[in-house]
Amino acid sequence: MEKRLLSYMNWGLLLTMCGLFLVGVGNLYSASGMRMEGGLAFTDYYEKQLVWGLLGLGVMLVTMSFDYRRLRNLAWPFFLVTLVLLVLVPLIGKKVYGAQRWISLGFMNIQPSEFAKIAVLLLGAHLLARDGQALDWKNFFRVLAVGLAPGALIIRQPDLGTTLNILLLLGGMILFHGVRGYVFKTCLLGLPCCAAFMWFVGMRDYQRQRVLTFLNPGDDPRGAGYHILQSRIAIGSGEIWGKGFQEGTQSQLRFLPEKHSDFAVAVFGEEWGFAGCVALTALFCLFLMSIFMTVVQAKDRFGSTLCVGVFFYFFWQILINMGMVTGLMPVVGIPLPFISYGGSAMVVNFALLGVVLNVSMRRFMFKG
Amino acid sequence: MFRRKRRNEGKEAERTWRAWLEIPVEGEAYQPPAHGVILLQVLIVLLFFLFVLRFWYLQVHMGADMSRQALANRLRYEQIYAPRGRILDTNGLPLADNRIAFGLSLVREDCHDIPATLAQVAAWTGIPLDKLRDRFQHDRQRTRPFEPILLTSDMDFALASRVEAELVFWPGLEIVVRSKRWYPEKELFAHVLGYVAEANEKELDADPELALGDLVGKQGLEYSYEKLLRGQKGRYRLEVDALGRSLDRILEEVPRNGQEIRLTLDRDLQKAAWDAMNGEAGAVIVMEPDTGKLRALVTSPAYDNNLFAAGISHRDWQELRENKRFPLQNRAIQSTYPPGSVWKLMMAAMFLENGVKPWESAYCGGQMKLGNHVFRCWRSGGHGQVDMMRSIIHSCDVYYYHFAEKLGVDRMARFAEQSGFGRPTGIDLPHEKGGVVPSREWKMRRYGKAWLKGETINASIGQGYTLVTPLQMAVNVASFLNGGKVLKPLLREDEPVEVRGTVAARPETFRFVLDAMKVTASVGTCKVVARKDAEMGGKTGTAQVVKLRMAGQRRLKTHELPWEQRDHAWVATWGRKNGKSYVVIVMVEHGGGGGTAAGPVARKVYDHLFGPVGGNGQKTTQR
Repeated sequence: MEKRLLSYMNWGLLLTMCGLFLVGVGNLYSASGMRMEGGLAFTDYYEKQLVWGLLGLGVMLVTMSFDYRRLRNLAWPFFLVTLVLLVLVPLIGKKVYGAQRWISLGFMNIQPSEFAKIAVLLLGAHLLARDGQALDWKNFFRVLAVGLAPGALIIRQPDLGTTLNILLLLGGMILFHGVRGYVFKTCLLGLPCCAAFMWFVGMRDYQRQRVLTFLNPGDDPRGAGYHILQSRIAIGSGEIWGKGFQEGTQSQLRFLPEKHSDFAVAVFGEEWGFAGCVALTALFCLFLMSIFMTVVQAKDRFGSTLCVGVFFYFFWQILINMGMVTGLMPVVGIPLPFISYGGSAMVVNFALLGVVLNVSMRRFMFKG
Repeated sequence: MFRRKRRNEGKEAERTWRAWLEIPVEGEAYQPPAHGVILLQVLIVLLFFLFVLRFWYLQVHMGADMSRQALANRLRYEQIYAPRGRILDTNGLPLADNRIAFGLSLVREDCHDIPATLAQVAAWTGIPLDKLRDRFQHDRQRTRPFEPILLTSDMDFALASRVEAELVFWPGLEIVVRSKRWYPEKELFAHVLGYVAEANEKELDADPELALGDLVGKQGLEYSYEKLLRGQKGRYRLEVDALGRSLDRILEEVPRNGQEIRLTLDRDLQKAAWDAMNGEAGAVIVMEPDTGKLRALVTSPAYDNNLFAAGISHRDWQELRENKRFPLQNRAIQSTYPPGSVWKLMMAAMFLENGVKPWESAYCGGQMKLGNHVFRCWRSGGHGQVDMMRSIIHSCDVYYYHFAEKLGVDRMARFAEQSGFGRPTGIDLPHEKGGVVPSREWKMRRYGKAWLKGETINASIGQGYTLVTPLQMAVNVASFLNGGKVLKPLLREDEPVEVRGTVAARPETFRFVLDAMKVTASVGTCKVVARKDAEMGGKTGTAQVVKLRMAGQRRLKTHELPWEQRDHAWVATWGRKNGKSYVVIVMVEHGGGGGTAAGPVARKVYDHLFGPVGGNGQKTTQR
C-alpha cells in the first residue's frame, strides 16, 4: 500500500472505532462478573469479544486493501449467492431457540442474514450510484426490492431485528440519494398502512406483546415488563457519576437480563452514570460524524453511497438498541455495535468500517 | 447505463471476464446531494440530544428513585428472634420459661414436589394434611421467594432427630430451632400468666414489628406485659441476587432479649393456697396491705396454659370452653359475686363515718318488717340487743337493716365507691371486672326504675344488686389496715406502690373495724383462722345465690341444695406476725357457709405464711 493512501485515511474514524471497541470489551469484562457466594465469578465473554475483534481487524485490513470500486463487480454475484443461502435456511438450516437462522458447514455455522446486510448495502450502493437523479417510482421499487427480497426471507426465520436493520439502512440510503417529491409524499402516507400491515400480518404474537409491554411495562413487572424495568433501574441507579467499574449491583446480581448482548449498555450506564453515558453518546456521535466526513469527501457516487449505507447501518442499531435499553422503544433484538457481545456482528462491523476507510484513503485517486 | 454496458459486453465471455477485473469508473465528477448531507448531520445531532436528554431524565431526574428501587431489588432482611423475657416468682423460681422447640420449614424454591413433601410432614408430625396444606397456601402469599415457610414449630427432640435423618431425601425442608414458651407450674399460675400463641391477622396488621408465626401474649400477664416481655428482634441484612439467593449476611441489628419480670407472687404460697382449695371453684388472694403486693392469686378450677403455647387443638379448646365449671374464668378478678356479710366491714365503717356511735344498738328479733316485706336475720331466733361490735362478731343482719334504712343507699354507695368497689382495681391483668355498687342513680340508669326501700335493706348486707370481685374485697380489707389507702394490687416486684384513692375515714374508725375483726377471729364466726402466735382478724360471709327466701319457708341445709344453688362462701381476713401483715381473702363458689367452706382454706394459707401452729379454732361456727 502506498504511503499516500495512509495519509488520506480517515484517522478520526479509526480512533473512534478503536475507542468504542475498547469501551465495549472493558464493559463486557465488568458485565462478565457475577457475584456468587464465594465472590466474583467471571464468564469468558470479554475474552471472546477481544478475539473476535482482532479477527475483525484482520478482515478490516483486507477490505481496506483493494480499490473499493471493484466491489461494484461483486455486488450482483454476492447478492444472488446470499439469496440462495437464505432460501436454503428453512430447508437445511439449524434451529436454535425456535429460530432457524444458521446453516451448518460442518466446521462452523454461518448466518446468511449477516451476509444479507452486506449484500443489500453493496447492491443498493451499486444501483443508486448509476446516476444522481432523484428516484422515480420505477427506480424506487427497483432499489427497494433489493431490501424486500432478503427481508421477506429473513423475517420468516424469524428475525425481526435484522429485517428492520436491512430495510432501514436501505431506506436511509434512498433518502440520502433522494426521491421524487411525489414518491416521498406517497411513501409518507403509506407508512402508517405498512405499520398496520406489519402489526396484523408481519408480527408474531410475542412481538406484539413486546410492543404492548413497552407501552405499559408496569403491568407485569415480573414477566414481560421485567427487562424494560430492570434495565431502566440499572441505568437510573447509576445517577450522575455511576456506581464504579464492576460495582453495578443490577448487573452483578443478575437482575439485569441479557447484560452481555442487547442490554450491555445498561451495565455501562449503571457503572459510569450520566457522565459516562454522555461521553459514550458523544463518542458514538463522533464515530458517526467520522463516517459522515468520508461520505462528504468521497470522490465518486458509489463510494459515497457505500459510506451512507454504513452510516445508516450503525445509526439505526445505535438508535434502536439504546432506545430499547433506555425504555424509549419496544424490545427488539438489535445489538449495540462494539458494546454488545457478538462475534459475527463484530467481524461485519469491522469489515464495513474497512470499506469506509478504503473510500477515505482513495478519495484522491481519480484514475485507478 | 451501467447495466446496458454489461449486457453488451456479456456477449463475449473473455471480454466479460476482463471487465470484471476492471475497476468501474464513474464518468462525472461527484458532489454529495445537499439534502442528504443535511439529513445525516441532523440525524447525528438528534441522536446526541435524544439520548443525553433521556439519560438526564433517567439518571439525574429519576436517579434517586431508581437507586432506591435497585436497593430494594437486592436487599432483604431476616429477623433474629429475641428470647421472650422469663417470668419469675418473688424468689426467682421460673413461672414462664423458654424451651427449645424444633420447627420444620419449607423453602418452596428448593422443593421438587411440594404435595408429596407436605404429605410426608403430615405423616411425621401427625398434623392433618389439609391443615398443613391450608397453612402453606396461606403463608406463601405472605412470604417472599426463598423465605422459609414454617410448617410446624412444635417437634420434640426425638421427632426432630428422626426427621433430620431423613431430611436428605426431602430437599427444601429444613429444621429450625425456635424458642417455645413453657409454664412449669401449669395450671397453678395459668390465669395470672395467661399464654402466648401465634399472632393472628388482626395483631399482625396492627403491629408492624410482628412477623408471621410470631408468638404474642393473648391472656394474662403475657398479654399485659407483652411490650416488656417481647424484647426487640434483631435482623440480618441479606444481599440477594435476582433469583433470591442470599450472597452475603450482615448482622445489622443485635436482638435485645425481652425483659425478665419478677413477680410478687410466691410459688410455694400459691401452691399451698391451691392445695387448700382442694379443687373447689373459687379464688384465694394473699396481699400485703401496706404495698398492695399480691403474694398469691389463686383461681380454681384452672387449665394448663402449655396447651395454648403449642397451638391448642380444637377438641381441647372446645372442652375448655364448654366446661360447666368455667376453667378459663379468672375468678379473682373476672367474676363478680354478692359479697354477703363481708360487706358489713365496709358498712360498719360507713356507719361510723356517718354519725352512728359504736354503742348505739338495734334490737334484733330475728327479722325486720318494712311495709309488707319481712327481712330476716340469718339467725331466726334473733340476736337481741346488738351494738356495732356484736353485729360484726355475730354478723347480725337486722342491725345493718336498721341503720342502713336510716342512712339511705346513696351514702352507702358513695362510701363503697370510695373504698374501691364498683370499679376495677387496676391490676395489670386484662378483662378485669368492676362489679356493681347500686344506688338510686345507678338503678335509674340501669333499669330506668326508682329505687325501693327494701333494696337498701338487701344491699346493706351485701345482697341484691351488689356485686364485687374477690380482689376488690382484698383491697378493701387492706385499706382498713393501711389507714384508708385504696391500693392498686401489684404483681411486679419492681413496681412502685400506687395509691388509687383514699377512704375518707378517721383512724379510730379503721381501728374499730380491725378490733371487731380481731374479736370475730378469736371468739366470733371466724374463729377458724384463730392462732396464738399471730394477731388475727377476720369476717366470714355467706352470700345467697337463690333469690330471697320468703318468710315461713324452711331454710335448707347446704347439702340439701343442688350445687349451683348453694351459697357462696367468703372469708376476709388479715394476720400480723413479726411486723409482717397479710390480707387473705377466700371465696368458694357455692361452698355453703363462709366459716365452714372458706375458713379452713384461709387457715391453711396462714399455716403456710406463719408456720403450722394450731390455734383454738377447731370448732367452726356457721356464718
